[in-house]
Amino acid sequence: MTRKNYYLTTDGLLKRKENTVYFLNKDSKRPIPINKIYSIYAYGALSISSQVLNLLSREGIPVHFFNRYGFYTGSFYLRETLLSGDIIIKQAEHVLDNERRMELAKSFVRGAALNMKRVLGYYGLENGISDTLSDLESSGSITEVMNVEARIRSDYYSAIDGILPEGFRIERRTRRPPENMTNAMISFGNSLLYSTVITELYNTQLNPTISYLHEPFARRYSLALDLSEIFKPTIIDRMIISLIKKRAIKVEDFEHGMNQCLLNDSGKRKFLAEYDRRLGKTVKHRELGRKVSYRRLIRLEAYKLIKHLIGQKRYEPFVMWW
Amino acid sequence: MYLLIVYDVGVERVNRVKSYLRTELHWVQNSVFEGEVTGSQFKRIEMNLKRIIDEDRDSVVIYSFRSESAFKRNVLGVEKSPLDVIL
Repeated sequence: MTRKNYYLTTDGLLKRKENTVYFLNKDSKRPIPINKIYSIYAYGALSISSQVLNLLSREGIPVHFFNRYGFYTGSFYLRETLLSGDIIIKQAEHVLDNERRMELAKSFVRGAALNMKRVLGYYGLENGISDTLSDLESSGSITEVMNVEARIRSDYYSAIDGILPEGFRIERRTRRPPENMTNAMISFGNSLLYSTVITELYNTQLNPTISYLHEPFARRYSLALDLSEIFKPTIIDRMIISLIKKRAIKVEDFEHGMNQCLLNDSGKRKFLAEYDRRLGKTVKHRELGRKVSYRRLIRLEAYKLIKHLIGQKRYEPFVMWW
Repeated sequence: MYLLIVYDVGVERVNRVKSYLRTELHWVQNSVFEGEVTGSQFKRIEMNLKRIIDEDRDSVVIYSFRSESAFKRNVLGVEKSPLDVIL
């Protein structure tokens, strides 16, 4: 990965000078080589000029914005350069035809569930995921599929609680705002992953708004939601468990308020550093026979989906094989 | 591939070399840049540098390593430009 993600957690200004990008904050002025940027995640208050956006769009670099709480607010999604009317039509066909849509929706849930099972299996935790998963085949509507997914996820979170120390237990999934520390990390991590998936989808011909498991909502890149389901357990959940168990993240890394809990500056930095490290981690890919990074795995998932849509190869969701 | 580029060029061209390298690699200190590149990026950098410098008078030295782990980086004194991605 010669191009890196940059995470701007401090308040500052993004500027264009001599055809490259400068990040200025109150302590420093840092030039960032334009050819070294893959995407930018902005967590602080960022001032940005149209000149820099022009440069970024020329180089195909998206910027993702998050609010003060670390929730995703939007992206500078570039002018599409990989356009394919054919793929869009095929994508739509697979939504309009209920049978085909169900097939894909079920694949996403199955992929997510099997990855959750791998995570639990790694820690030797008992789980009923396979039993619940058998209900998936008989479900006939998207709502039923979503219900199966929700049941699996709640079992999964309560199983994880079994290995988390007092104080870090999830108890109940809460969001907007998250009510405890682990919930805060899950929310933060999921938004982060969602934007990473958007970056990968940008680099394919797929239209990110046409989705299968999630309703193709307006104003949302719902295909990115579909794909992030599969990767949440492998990337985010394993990372959270390991941060807690290694005591890398502590109570001081959170901002506790009335009925809400959020990562503070030091917490965000630790989380982002670990996330970035994990995205760059490589595993040997069985079919390709070479090493691929986690980030690349997401792109490959999009390619698999394209192959399915054009009828070349049936889509099989990614399931952690290591 | 990991590159380390040091240059000593005439004062008229020093700014052009610097601003070009700023788009490709990380600035380390005066006249020194480093960073991870692919094979094609390496070729491009070489070509563009040749175009900027005066080959009869200037000198640019490019050290290339198989990867970042092929060498150790020790800084004495002040680290002028840390390479971290979280700012």
